[in-house]
Amino acid sequence: MAKVKSNANRIVKLSTIKAIHKWLSLVVFVQLLIWLGTGLFFNVMDHDKARGNQYRLAVKSVDINHQALMATKQVLSQSERAVKELSLVQRLGQPYYLLTHEKALYRHFNNEYSLVNAYTGKTQQIDSVMASSLAQLSYSGKAKVTNISKVSPPFDDFLKEQNTLWKIDFADQLNTSVYLDAGSGHLVGHSNDDKRFVDFFFMLHFMDYPIFTKERTGGFNNGQIIFFALLTLLLCLTGLIWTIEMLLKGRYKLR
Amino acid sequence: MSLHRTSRKYHKWLMLFVGLQFVVWSISGAYMVVMDIHYIHGDSLVTKDIPSINTEQVNYSINELLSEYPEAKHIKLGLLLEQAVYRFSITKQKMMISAQDGQRLADINVAAAIKIAKQHAADENAEVLATTLITKQPPGELSARHLPVWRIDFDDFASSSFYISATNGELVTKRHNFWRIFDWMFVFHVMDYVDGSAENKLLLLVTVLALFGSVFGVVLTYFRLAPTQVNKRIKR
Repeated sequence: MAKVKSNANRIVKLSTIKAIHKWLSLVVFVQLLIWLGTGLFFNVMDHDKARGNQYRLAVKSVDINHQALMATKQVLSQSERAVKELSLVQRLGQPYYLLTHEKALYRHFNNEYSLVNAYTGKTQQIDSVMASSLAQLSYSGKAKVTNISKVSPPFDDFLKEQNTLWKIDFADQLNTSVYLDAGSGHLVGHSNDDKRFVDFFFMLHFMDYPIFTKERTGGFNNGQIIFFALLTLLLCLTGLIWTIEMLLKGRYKLR
Repeated sequence: MSLHRTSRKYHKWLMLFVGLQFVVWSISGAYMVVMDIHYIHGDSLVTKDIPSINTEQVNYSINELLSEYPEAKHIKLGLLLEQAVYRFSITKQKMMISAQDGQRLADINVAAAIKIAKQHAADENAEVLATTLITKQPPGELSARHLPVWRIDFDDFASSSFYISATNGELVTKRHNFWRIFDWMFVFHVMDYVDGSAENKLLLLVTVLALFGSVFGVVLTYFRLAPTQVNKRIKR
């Protein structure tokens, strides 16, 4: 026991370790309590509500008249831009060819599309009327649409999404917003006050504060969390050494 | 007992039980925040260079496809190496046919799988170390719905693997050692040792104890570092 103590003393003095532990606790305690508090919240929260899909409906596809579809080759040759992928999709019960001109690794990264009416071959722009109808088709609530707007990233509701979106707000109690990709018309997702409440806790847990970087990223690779994570690691390791020392000194005694 | 002494006693005892988890939290948390998530997800392994479809190769239309396969869903025209192909599914079965003439295409063999993997690789000189055809019991990192799948292991620092669908040649997922470590770190971070989610009771118990232990710790920080308290101790 004495040997262990003298070894520890030789590398870093135990008193230094204890001083580091005390001073670090002063630096990190607020964030540490936030981490534990939000962690506890994630553990007990309602995970279904957190998804923001209270009023989300799966959009069903309908039968189409495939004989009347425009030939695939013709669609490709009339496209002004090169096509990396073509798929047959449905929007509002109508078939469309979705041409992908810029294809990123994921759908939420920057992609470029055109939507072509599969019967007529006409390019379809997604305007506010179409966006509103698409949103209502995915919405099971009874509330009315209050606002339709075309918005550019970043989005507080979907921080990782990089494409321009249509945002359709509904007048329900949860303030549901429906987001659609402005290029392809696909549903990006629903958000509501329940999800926003949980997102706030994620912001706290990830230290995704818009203080130094001005913008939230939705991720946990920012400078302030790296700094605090490393200090907290040191706090925990010094605490571990302290505990081991107390164990070796027989300070843990049941009276 | 004074608040100071009570706090010291409870901080000491609570941390004896949850201190190790604090070390686990801080190590796993530090790993996850320090490692860039896009690197972790292997995004940098995959090339951004995607070739375009050559219209001349598309002589078979989606109308014909739907006449032949009326149940076809998720129809997509894309490339398999240099060849234009239609990929679609019938119930859960994945299919692939040539866009030239509508011929069913055979399953991907090992040579093609290697070629496809290399085509997707960001590193043009990537060397393939091993290939495995997985038809059942996929490893945890691969969803069973993708089966059968070729696993192509690259000879690189991170031991990266590409999973290529054996039925339609798509890159279904990718993994490398730092991602595999990340997944373990997450498991440790949410104490997901037993029932498979962050909602588990073990995490709840430990977090509550940890919260109490920390609050007592903060009280100690006050008594040890607040100027008025330090002066009092010196006078004593």
